[in-house]
Amino acid sequence: MTALLEVRNVSRFFGGVKANLDVSFSVEQGIVLGLIGPNGAGKTTLFNCITGFYPPSRGEIFFEGQRINGFPPDKVCRLGMARTWQKVRPLAKLTVLDNTVVGALCHTNSVPEAKEIALEQLRVVGLEKRAGVLAGGLPIGERKKLELARVMATKPRMILLDEVMGGLNARESEEIIGLILDVKKRGLTQVVIEHDMKAIVRTCDRIVVLNSGEKLAEGSPQQVVNDPRVMAAYLGDSGGAKA
Amino acid sequence: MRTLLPWAIAAVVLALIPLWVQSPYALHIFILLFIAIALGESWNVIGGFAGQYSVGHAAWYGLGAYGAFILLQRKAIAPWFGVWVAVAAAVIIALVVGWITFRLRGPYFVLASIAVAEIIRLAALNWKELTNGAEGILAADAPPLRLGGTVITDWNSKTPFFYMGLAMALFCIAVNFLVKRSKLGYYLQAIREDQDAAHSLGIPLTLSKNTALAISAACTALAGSFAAFYVGFIEPQGVFGIEVSIQMVLTCIIGGIGTVAGPVIGAVVVVLLSEALRASLSSAHLLVYGVLVIIVILTMPDGFVGFIGQRLRRKAAPT
Amino acid sequence: MAVFLQSVLSGILIGGVYALTGIGLTLIFGVMRVINFAQGELVMVGMYCTFWLFVLLGIDPFLSVVLTMPALFLLGALLQRTLINRVLDALPQNQILLTIGIGLVLSNTAMLVFTSDYRILSTSYSSSSVALGVIRLSKPLLFCFLITAVITAALYWFLVKTDTGHAIRATAQDRDAAQLMGVNVRYMGVLAFGLGSALAGAAGALVAPIYYIYPQVGGAFTLKAFVVVVLGGMGSIIGATLGGILVGMSESLAASYIAADMKDLCVYVIFLLVLLLKPSGLLGKSRM
Repeated sequence: MTALLEVRNVSRFFGGVKANLDVSFSVEQGIVLGLIGPNGAGKTTLFNCITGFYPPSRGEIFFEGQRINGFPPDKVCRLGMARTWQKVRPLAKLTVLDNTVVGALCHTNSVPEAKEIALEQLRVVGLEKRAGVLAGGLPIGERKKLELARVMATKPRMILLDEVMGGLNARESEEIIGLILDVKKRGLTQVVIEHDMKAIVRTCDRIVVLNSGEKLAEGSPQQVVNDPRVMAAYLGDSGGAKA
Repeated sequence: MRTLLPWAIAAVVLALIPLWVQSPYALHIFILLFIAIALGESWNVIGGFAGQYSVGHAAWYGLGAYGAFILLQRKAIAPWFGVWVAVAAAVIIALVVGWITFRLRGPYFVLASIAVAEIIRLAALNWKELTNGAEGILAADAPPLRLGGTVITDWNSKTPFFYMGLAMALFCIAVNFLVKRSKLGYYLQAIREDQDAAHSLGIPLTLSKNTALAISAACTALAGSFAAFYVGFIEPQGVFGIEVSIQMVLTCIIGGIGTVAGPVIGAVVVVLLSEALRASLSSAHLLVYGVLVIIVILTMPDGFVGFIGQRLRRKAAPT
Repeated sequence: MAVFLQSVLSGILIGGVYALTGIGLTLIFGVMRVINFAQGELVMVGMYCTFWLFVLLGIDPFLSVVLTMPALFLLGALLQRTLINRVLDALPQNQILLTIGIGLVLSNTAMLVFTSDYRILSTSYSSSSVALGVIRLSKPLLFCFLITAVITAALYWFLVKTDTGHAIRATAQDRDAAQLMGVNVRYMGVLAFGLGSALAGAAGALVAPIYYIYPQVGGAFTLKAFVVVVLGGMGSIIGATLGGILVGMSESLAASYIAADMKDLCVYVIFLLVLLLKPSGLLGKSRM
């Protein structure tokens, strides 16, 4: 079975900085892939390359068999791959509903239809009662949920979640984990960047570990968690310690 | 649609005004108001919804004015046809300019828009064979407007201009209304709030911005043509000068950027203040514009409508 | 060939003034990230100050610079404390509109007070020139350039050799880090705007014997200041210096080889081209 997303030997340089070096992995339809690594490992850079924010300096990216190197972000989204942001980006002066409508308009030209889709997604994440609130006034937990709803409204086949649990307390993280598993049940494929190892182990089918821009390890959660190289990368052997 | 009712009532009331009010000066003020409303609503599409603060919109105003005038003078094409040609020309040039300038962000875009308007003004000033340079063009009398065999008006009083102006203002308000509720409106506001996030949600940036600019330039050029015929005389500084651009921006800032009603309120404030001070300050009414801009930016950057909206939200919000 | 050299040299001489205005703009942007659309109007204020000092007190324009600069410094500091300071965290578009408003107030107050009559400041040496072989260089233009060079050198010395200068540069590089190091960043903002205004005032003083003086003259200076800064890279003082000279030369060459009234248009076209092709400036240093 061809993978939904295939990353082949992707490298990304910024001047002299090697943010990503020769990273390869594939993501099959329907799984949740975890992308972990210490801060500065190049995870978000990889997301940016995959979703078209900038092209990879080397290597190729395939989505559903199509080579998408250099496609602009809006084209990637319309093809069915959407992403959330590490630092949440609500459309502050728009309401929660309107934020989600913007996402829903990706595949429809009818605003009433988009509103239907948006309300449905808000119901899924539990924000339907906040539909009329300005997004700029939401607390962080709700902002994360809004971003998820907004992205789901674009009817993606695959979503890339960048530290969607960052800054959340235990209860909020639980809710997000529930949502991720729910999304998986609906048949979507997900790649999740996360630092919360417990959440990773619970949600992910497979994990790719990045360190200093390169792929360090790949395998099932059990394998990766027990890999001494991974522990060394996190705990400071290579200077990439995470608090 | 409940929100349309106040507008409809206002439109009907305004339409009846010439029946009661005969004073040419009063009608003149209304006409200036309609022009200012049309300009404010036009700018709002690109500046208010899309967040692209063009301070060079006089370019489209002047192109509309010169386009229609030149067609009348040289080719004797009646204004109600010439206007559309001028508008089309303005839109085409606007799209070229958009293609060039929309890759710039924030202040760089503002600068580029000013530079473009200046370039067009200087071109008009120097291309004397076409535009008569600084001497300007005096309008030949517009031919009488006929429908079938009957003459509707021969443009000798203010009243026909009043109704044309009202229709134009209502048209621009309607455009704003429609854009705001459409897919384009949502996309533009997303671009305004966070361009990169918008891009990642499937929004085509260049297409959206250029569509907004085309609409905005078209409405601005329409207003420019109308204003030119009403005044009867145009010259480069008066139609391409930065004061025109600034007035458009000011109208929206005072009233409330990104709202449909905002530019109307802003237009009322700007026009009434201008007229009130014209006697004492003459051409230094721009001084008042400057002071107004400063006050509004410092105290209510979201304009009157935004200010009132905030107050209402605070009253309605649960503690 | 003589025409070419003449144009280039005159261009360099006037370019110094454009550079001064641009340096002021870039200093303000560097320290506060505010784009001052009223920079040209500050030049205009400098021009009028110089004019009245000459007409009422008989002080030579190139000497009255020492009076005009501090006066403009105070004006700038006042504007910063009362107005600019309040919008440091606002949307950049609103900051721009605020400075546009300030510019409007300045130019129209001048129009109210002084009328829009063109004034001319003619000194005894206004039309005399210095001969350099085949080329004649106008004396006022020469003095203008020399004083500009002195001021620029002094500014550079200030920024590089003094503690306050270091503090300003630190604030420009990283406001938060500078604050954590004990720099009073609010005071730096006042200082930067004051200095930027003083430089604009100096430009006005130096150019007063050369250009017509009228309230609306600021607009063109503002736009040219921007061209200078974009050419040299927003935030770079050396860039602004070189940019100024480039703008001066382009303008002068355009006037000689195309048409005198097309020189402004040429500068703006160059501006658009640079914005499109190399928005980070010809020297490539910018913080957009």
